[in-house]
Amino acid sequence: MTEIAENRDAVAKMGHTQATPTPKVREFGHVNWRGLWTLYHREVKRFFKVFTQTLAAPVVTTLLFYTIFTVALQNRVGTVGSAPFAVFLAPGLIMMTILQNSFANTSSSMMTSKIQGNIVDVLMPPISPLEMLCGFLGGGLTRGLIVGVSATVAMSFLVDFPFHNIAAILFFALTASTMLALLGMIGGIWAEKFDHMAAITNFVIVPLSFLSGTFYSIQRLPEIWQTVAQFNPFFYAIDGFRYGFIGQGDAPFWLGASVMVGVDVVLFLTVHRMLASGYKLKS
Amino acid sequence: MTDRSDLLLGGVPVARRFGLINWLGLATFYRREMSRNFKIWKITLAAPAIRAVLFASVFGLAIDHENAVMGGLPFMTFLIPGLVTVAALERAFESSAFSIVYDKMEGIFGDLAVLPLTPGELVLGFSAAAVSGSLMVAAVVWLALLPFGGSLPHNLLALAFFVAIGSLMIGLFSQIAGLWARKWDYITSVQTFIFLPFVFFSGVFFSLDELPNFLLPVARANPVFYIVDGIRFSLTGQAEVPPMFGAVVCVAVTAILWAVSYRLFSIGYRMKS
Repeated sequence: MTEIAENRDAVAKMGHTQATPTPKVREFGHVNWRGLWTLYHREVKRFFKVFTQTLAAPVVTTLLFYTIFTVALQNRVGTVGSAPFAVFLAPGLIMMTILQNSFANTSSSMMTSKIQGNIVDVLMPPISPLEMLCGFLGGGLTRGLIVGVSATVAMSFLVDFPFHNIAAILFFALTASTMLALLGMIGGIWAEKFDHMAAITNFVIVPLSFLSGTFYSIQRLPEIWQTVAQFNPFFYAIDGFRYGFIGQGDAPFWLGASVMVGVDVVLFLTVHRMLASGYKLKS
Repeated sequence: MTDRSDLLLGGVPVARRFGLINWLGLATFYRREMSRNFKIWKITLAAPAIRAVLFASVFGLAIDHENAVMGGLPFMTFLIPGLVTVAALERAFESSAFSIVYDKMEGIFGDLAVLPLTPGELVLGFSAAAVSGSLMVAAVVWLALLPFGGSLPHNLLALAFFVAIGSLMIGLFSQIAGLWARKWDYITSVQTFIFLPFVFFSGVFFSLDELPNFLLPVARANPVFYIVDGIRFSLTGQAEVPPMFGAVVCVAVTAILWAVSYRLFSIGYRMKS
């Protein structure tokens, strides 16, 4: 009895839907703003949901690093250039955490989507490769900058920052975060297993962020490594960012700024090309 | 209809018998833990070595003068035992906890409860894997740090003892943390907010003499300090507290943690739910 009643209901409903006009295609202009916003929103919610891991942990780790390095080295280093060691170290550590978190966000998002197979949910919707790129990039930037700002605020209780040039601080934070978010996307697209990703993080990203002048002025390096450092964009990111804080850097400001912009543009185009061609994504 | 004898096709199956300890089960369980940990050796063995080398490099490059001293030792000689300890303890922490949480997330952790393994055997299996993994990592890291001014251990037996007891202590702690954790979040929080501060302030990177005086008793209450100090004694022959005293503290703390972990496995805490 109930079965028949249910069927009747279903038929009635069908008739009802047939009566309504067919759904229309949603129109949008050059940019699918809503699609872009939705993707960005997802990317941000993704890391906010586990904020102890993605925001609190990096800030605490940065503070721990700051403490152990200053306690261990303060009396053994003295000043770097004209800056006390603690003041020299702090901006480098903040930049290091910005770099690592921007990278972690885009790479892990891309990687998880690929492994779980829900990458199609990003490939299917009507968003262009450019919009997809911007959505992911926005997520990486947001995480990098939130971690950076939190670490700066926390550090300013311990260190007396001169804040020499706020514009330079912002500029290098943005361009460096962009660089690593884009690198994270390249890594995420390329890697086939979590293993690969962990290898990139452990063997490329962490060493580069450690050895690029966070803890010492590169003038302390042997000459050959100083030359190598001049081809290392991580070095310019850390150096320029520190210049913004303490007004002292190893590389000229404009050189650093142009390198960052140049690298970002090249990476941006590379990622765009990868997404447009569907490299390792649309198989 | 209620007669189920037709299900016992070949008669009543005979249960496998074993003595006090299910050695085969324990060995199998240990093998699973080891292969799970070292299948990704790049992450569990090579990465800690690289990280130790990175730390040694940046400390080495940052210090001004070659003859910087820490805790009565040349700076690098002081630092190397600390780096070996960090790597060993980190491996011990990740060994048990990550394995437990991984199984929980996959929904297969309850399987451990139905194995013919007693709680004691489970604790032993997890701990044995943690300790042997840490010994391997410690050896690899020590080798990697040789070019930075490492030297042959002062007392190899003491070194093996302190690495083993230290990683056993942390391994047991990580089993407790793993049992408590409901998600990955929990375990990474324990790692960042409890484990790392305990390790970083135990005197791995600096002598406790560098701390303000009023903090010294607090720092000495940290059991990890006795692990680091013992390992430093074994490698360099110099320690802040007598090594025998350190050994006793380590054994006592480990015994307590063993009892806790054993109890939690016995009652099936967040395991049989």
